[in-house]
Amino acid sequence: MRKKTFAAAALLAAASLALSACGSGDDAKSAVTVVSGATSNKAATILDTPFEKPDLVLTDTHGEKYDLRAETKGRPTLVYFGYTHCPDVCPLTMNNLAVAKKALSKADQAKLRVVFVTTDPARDTPSELGKWLKGIDPAFVGLTGDFATIQAGARTLGISIEPTHRDKKTGKVVSVHGTQVIAFSPKTNGGYVLYGEDATVDDYTKDLPKLIKGENP
Amino acid sequence: MTSIKSAKPVKLAKHLVLTGIAITGALALAGCGSSNVSGSSGSSLPELSVGASYMPQPVSTDMAAGFLTITNKGGTKDELTSVTSDSAGEITMHETNGGAMEQVSSFEVPAHGQLVFKSGGNHLMFEKLKRRPAQGDTITLKLKFAESGPLTVEMPVKSATYNPSTGH
Repeated sequence: MRKKTFAAAALLAAASLALSACGSGDDAKSAVTVVSGATSNKAATILDTPFEKPDLVLTDTHGEKYDLRAETKGRPTLVYFGYTHCPDVCPLTMNNLAVAKKALSKADQAKLRVVFVTTDPARDTPSELGKWLKGIDPAFVGLTGDFATIQAGARTLGISIEPTHRDKKTGKVVSVHGTQVIAFSPKTNGGYVLYGEDATVDDYTKDLPKLIKGENP
Repeated sequence: MTSIKSAKPVKLAKHLVLTGIAITGALALAGCGSSNVSGSSGSSLPELSVGASYMPQPVSTDMAAGFLTITNKGGTKDELTSVTSDSAGEITMHETNGGAMEQVSSFEVPAHGQLVFKSGGNHLMFEKLKRRPAQGDTITLKLKFAESGPLTVEMPVKSATYNPSTGH
């Protein structure tokens, strides 16, 4: 059942992306309105069957070993897969979380863990990641390491990434980021809420107080 | 907020509806592609204007994104071939497909249509910025086209989380 849901979401995402790439004729415009209308009014998707937290042991921005399960156990945790050479969605997503976090009480801010896992570990060294996250929120955790490990971890969350590579035809660099933020509950440690890349500061500001408590937004 | 319950026929129906919309979207896309071809047979020249431009305040001088919409009121398609600015060492054009960002060398501006750069889709990528653009700054861009003369755009720098649909 969950698979079916994802298939529908993927189709929808594919269609809306294809549309925005085209995004010109009047026909396309009305279709865009319908698609975004169906997805944008609800930012959060609550999963009946939560994801298990991936067993990721990587390197943080201080060059220290970071065991995701051990470090974030019992803490409200948001995980996102992206890369720092990403001008658009990756910094927007992390900045949205950073701004929304500021609306929380100091105590709640201290509870929250925001973990950015790079999908481009060859370029995102611990120091590069650290420099980038410092410009967004110094408390955010940045993880890098072996690509295969990161890819396997992402896959358990239904996020498909591939290594940064050069396009065979154009010779241009292609990098891939995830399109979802996954919220893990402090109560169960399960990943129980998904946010797509359309989620705004307002969506996160509204939902974070619930996520801190492990409640449904 | 959307709760996905398993084994509830009502919810299943909703998913089918979503899938249906997605397919409609794909069909609309096919329709859009072919209309461009017929548009290019028109005799009037491309007539371009630029709107809705902004740059979200970037994290560093390494990388920034820029968005805008180019509208073509003319009956002939045009092609955006380059974007330059004194503020950045390099500006490239990208499209995004399912989370993968790919550089392209030109974008078509269809006859009687628009070329849209927006967050999550097509974007301009600024590299080697001379200094970090801050909210309130303006970046001056020069757009070059295959047919029309160059256009100058004054792109405002907005907050890092600026959302054009809400305006903040």
